[in-house]
Amino acid sequence: MASASQAATPREAVIHVEGLKHSYDGKNYALKDVSFEVKKGEVFGLLGKNGAGKSTLIKILTTLIRPSEGSVTILGMDPSKDGPKIRKRIGVVQQDESFDFTTVQGNFDLYGMLWSVPSQERTKRREELLRKFGLEDIRKKRAFDLSGGQKRRVQVAREMMHDVDILFLDEPTVGLDVIMRRQLLDFIREDVRNGLTVVFTTHNLEEADYLCDRVAVIDVGKILVLDTVGNLKNLYKGKKTIEVRVEDSGADRFYGALGHSLGSNATLNQGTEGAYVLSDNPKETLALILSVARETGVQIEWLSVRKDTLEDVFIDSVSREGS
Amino acid sequence: MELPNLFKLVYRNIKVNTDYGTLIILIGLPALYLVFFGFGFQSFIPAGGSASSYLSFLTPGIMAFQTVMAGTVGGSMLWADRRWGMLAQLLVGPFTRLQYLLGIMLTSVMFGLAGAAVMLFGAYLLIGTISIGPIGALTIVAAILVGSIFFGSLMLLLSALVKSNNAYNSVQVLIIFVVNFASTVFYPLSPRLPIVLQALFRVNPLTYVANVVRDGYSGALAIGDVYQMAGLIVATGVFLFLSVRSYMRSGVSFS
Repeated sequence: MASASQAATPREAVIHVEGLKHSYDGKNYALKDVSFEVKKGEVFGLLGKNGAGKSTLIKILTTLIRPSEGSVTILGMDPSKDGPKIRKRIGVVQQDESFDFTTVQGNFDLYGMLWSVPSQERTKRREELLRKFGLEDIRKKRAFDLSGGQKRRVQVAREMMHDVDILFLDEPTVGLDVIMRRQLLDFIREDVRNGLTVVFTTHNLEEADYLCDRVAVIDVGKILVLDTVGNLKNLYKGKKTIEVRVEDSGADRFYGALGHSLGSNATLNQGTEGAYVLSDNPKETLALILSVARETGVQIEWLSVRKDTLEDVFIDSVSREGS
Repeated sequence: MELPNLFKLVYRNIKVNTDYGTLIILIGLPALYLVFFGFGFQSFIPAGGSASSYLSFLTPGIMAFQTVMAGTVGGSMLWADRRWGMLAQLLVGPFTRLQYLLGIMLTSVMFGLAGAAVMLFGAYLLIGTISIGPIGALTIVAAILVGSIFFGSLMLLLSALVKSNNAYNSVQVLIIFVVNFASTVFYPLSPRLPIVLQALFRVNPLTYVANVVRDGYSGALAIGDVYQMAGLIVATGVFLFLSVRSYMRSGVSFS
């Protein structure tokens, strides 16, 4: 249900962020010098761990909070001056649930009324969205009685009751099963084909890979890398990620020794369920892993070489920043 | 024709707040006061008086009490919207913070007036005849309007300042109790009351709402009512300012 924007021409930047900083307490910065642009009709992904600064950035872009420093332009307007005008043209699916104490259908109707959708059009859109998002059977249920997945679908669908130029989705697929997640992403894709611009935050890399044209990896309030998904993956062409998991009793000994043995062509990132080694020369690194296991007397439980994914970009960017 | 934002918000507030819980708070509790106190106090009425004469005294008091209940509903609206995410959702919509707040205030006023009308109708069923002149009716509407804004502001202030649900509920119950019983809703301000209680009666805005509504109801309006309304308007202005300020300053913390 994207509207044809009057102000924006094709591929014009609809979001412009320059030198953005934000601190909630005046001391610690949740965002540190963030700059980027989002083009019209683009799906822009913000990838980051919990607490990376994604939600703060979304709150600023949706005019909920004013940044401490820097400039933001949304659809050619300044959020500090034109908040209501901007908000008329954006849709926001927040991370937390937000419903009125009424039925699913009632929530759609109220939302349409609040966003000035004419009565007949409101009914038409409601029926279309209930059908499209598979919500017809639960239309009479109270929103708060729905399951987590149903609630997320209602929240996303409800946002499409009114015309929007930019849709902000703050982790919209949290709590959804794999099938539901894919369905939701497909619904969003369909609207993107109709000209909608989407800003999408997630920490699910597969989703970003599936949906986004460009991705910014954000951590500790900074954008670490920003490029198209294809380019980011190409950066790592030839490199492979090797997943390795060893028995718990010898894990520290093994990972410690492996870290010391790896050369400059490989980086080790230890997680809770094992470790990932990003390597330019996977054959050599595999041999090294096996030899370290022999030397330390630790048994390997799992070892695999993975295809290039966006996850590699993410892990590498975040671990480089951390080190 | 497109509805102005304020009216859209009021419509939405009414739509989502006309549930059984809200109606019980708004209508049920005051109606119980009207019935139980109205008839229960009959035994204290001196010879020559009657239960219906106390009911005639109590009815305008209970109508005034509706302003407190309407204010409570207003505070709860903000609380619930913050708790259930709709405040943030509305604020990323085409509304300003001020419109949202005024929407709640206007809804409180409408609830206050509707509740008072229901109490008046209830009293009519109990007493049989009620006669209010046009000036009296206008005065009653004005007093309930201002009173609803006052208590709406007070509860919104509370809602903006108190962060815990339990604390909010406890303070709200305490306010309702003190404001209700330290006022002229149920009994007149007697010189035989302890000085401290008399002072509490006098600083309680509900006393002035009840006095003005009562004088309007019984056709006994006098210059004193003008002063009482003026005092009430000033107090309402102060609390409205405080509640708007604290609400605008409070961060939109949503979870």
